[in-house]
Amino acid sequence: MFALYKKELQSFFFSPFAYVLTALFMFVFSISLVLSIAMMEGTSLLKFSFPNVFYNNFFYFILLIPLLTMRTFADERRGGTEVLLFSSPLSVPKIVAAKFLSVATVFFFMMVVSLFFPIVTMIKGEVMWSSLICANLGFFLWGLACIAVGVLLSALTNHAIIAAILGEIIMEGLIFLDSFAGTALVETYPQVNSVVEWFSMQRRFVYFSQGLFRLEDLIFYITVTVLLLVWTILIIEKRRWTRV
Amino acid sequence: MVEIKNLTKYYGKNPAVRGINFEIRDNEILGFLGPNGAGKSTTMNIIAGYLPSTGGTVTVNGFDITEQAAEAKKCIGYLPEIPPVYPDMRVEEYLYFCAGIKAVPRKDRKAQVESAMARLNITDMRRRLIRNLSKGYKQRVGFAQALLGNPKVLILDEPTVGLDPTQVMEVRSLILDLKKDHSIIFSSHILGEVSAICERVVIINKGKIVAIDTIENLENSMVAKTQLQLKAEGSKDTVLRLLKDIRGVKDVTDITYHSTNLYGYAIEIASEDVRNEILTALVNNKCNVVELNMAKLNLEQVFLKYVNDKTEGTSLQDLLAETPDNGDAQVNPYDTLYNEEEA
Repeated sequence: MFALYKKELQSFFFSPFAYVLTALFMFVFSISLVLSIAMMEGTSLLKFSFPNVFYNNFFYFILLIPLLTMRTFADERRGGTEVLLFSSPLSVPKIVAAKFLSVATVFFFMMVVSLFFPIVTMIKGEVMWSSLICANLGFFLWGLACIAVGVLLSALTNHAIIAAILGEIIMEGLIFLDSFAGTALVETYPQVNSVVEWFSMQRRFVYFSQGLFRLEDLIFYITVTVLLLVWTILIIEKRRWTRV
Repeated sequence: MVEIKNLTKYYGKNPAVRGINFEIRDNEILGFLGPNGAGKSTTMNIIAGYLPSTGGTVTVNGFDITEQAAEAKKCIGYLPEIPPVYPDMRVEEYLYFCAGIKAVPRKDRKAQVESAMARLNITDMRRRLIRNLSKGYKQRVGFAQALLGNPKVLILDEPTVGLDPTQVMEVRSLILDLKKDHSIIFSSHILGEVSAICERVVIINKGKIVAIDTIENLENSMVAKTQLQLKAEGSKDTVLRLLKDIRGVKDVTDITYHSTNLYGYAIEIASEDVRNEILTALVNNKCNVVELNMAKLNLEQVFLKYVNDKTEGTSLQDLLAETPDNGDAQVNPYDTLYNEEEA
């Protein structure tokens, strides 16, 4: 399994792919940071925080994830290399886990690189690290769930670009789930509202971004991720059985 | 080494393989023949553990491919029809990766990768990106991958496709060399190649096994008992007159010129006993008999006879290119070959 994980990581880091995406990630982050600082003028200093920068921008961040995951299984099918993996002693769960972990590692790398901004800020000022780490953790957990969605979609098709487009649509859906819960239509039905809110990943991230670590949210993100990965395994197994 | 029992595979409602049984013995090269769409690649994919079967069992070295998948797959090296190579990787890097996923112990990887590269003559290409290699070299990299982990069973789906004639000869001798410590199942469209390196063959058609035996037995089983091949010295007219005077001779179907005063004749006879009469008549009339034997089919003709059950005049190329539909009419394999030659 480690061999596959390593190979996947190499395919990201031995090509410009991971670096271009990380550059884009940093670009969006820096614009958002500069804007936050610019808007700070004349207002209370307390209004500015790194978690807020995250919170205001994950619309952009999350859209990067399908670009990371689109090739995981789609390219294997298209290139005919799937047969190498499935005829090797590796089991399907191990293959899925290795691919998921490799994308998660790239995502983690992007998160680590984004620490550049608070570190620079720390040189001239003060950073509330506890709150920042909590927000980063929340963001990372949400990212893991989104990666699991992307891997699942990649297993459904043999066109990487279709996997990416479907991924973008679903990511937007996830982001707007919270806004959807807040609409008058949903709010008139309290039970529907509570279900939609329960599933809203953004709502749970809000707690993290405020420096509030709740076990409930941690379990939610991990459960969603694991369920999606199990679903991916089932889809791959099903396709092997029913290939027409 | 490998036992296939009652293997069945359906793609949706379409049967691809229908209850086939055969075994691959230790240290043998088993040829796997059949027209395209007959179920060859499906069977090979199932034996390699890539596809699950709908019914039946495959046991590799005592391990069931479904129940004990990891152990069974460790005993298998598989080269599919399209070599499963990553274009963005370098040859050496790819082989190390394959050794890794095949759970080759870390300390043995270097030696195994080096040995596989040396056997396939790709050591010079080790630093090249696979995308920049020719088709033949990609095929060899795929073959090298199948050798990693020193598997007891090698499944080779058309390993010589895309190779130039020299490379084909190299790969053939490699396969013969590998036989010493591997059991090999080998499919090819080139029947000459199969008869050159395989001991036994399985002929599959429309998902069912139609013949399974040694090449020699298959060829002997198809001896046309009512046809003789004669090569005799003497005037063509004299020989023909002598033959026609013998009661058991039904027809002389084909006459070929060999050299001055030496002709070959294909003779249809009523029974085998006529042979002696022919010999006596020719010798008495001072026509020296150079050769007299029963007509025997080669593997190509045997293959055609088993799988070509419909269209008269279908050439071997056509047959290998598409699956024949259901049909009842039996076709004389000679007709097929003559038509092919005429074309």
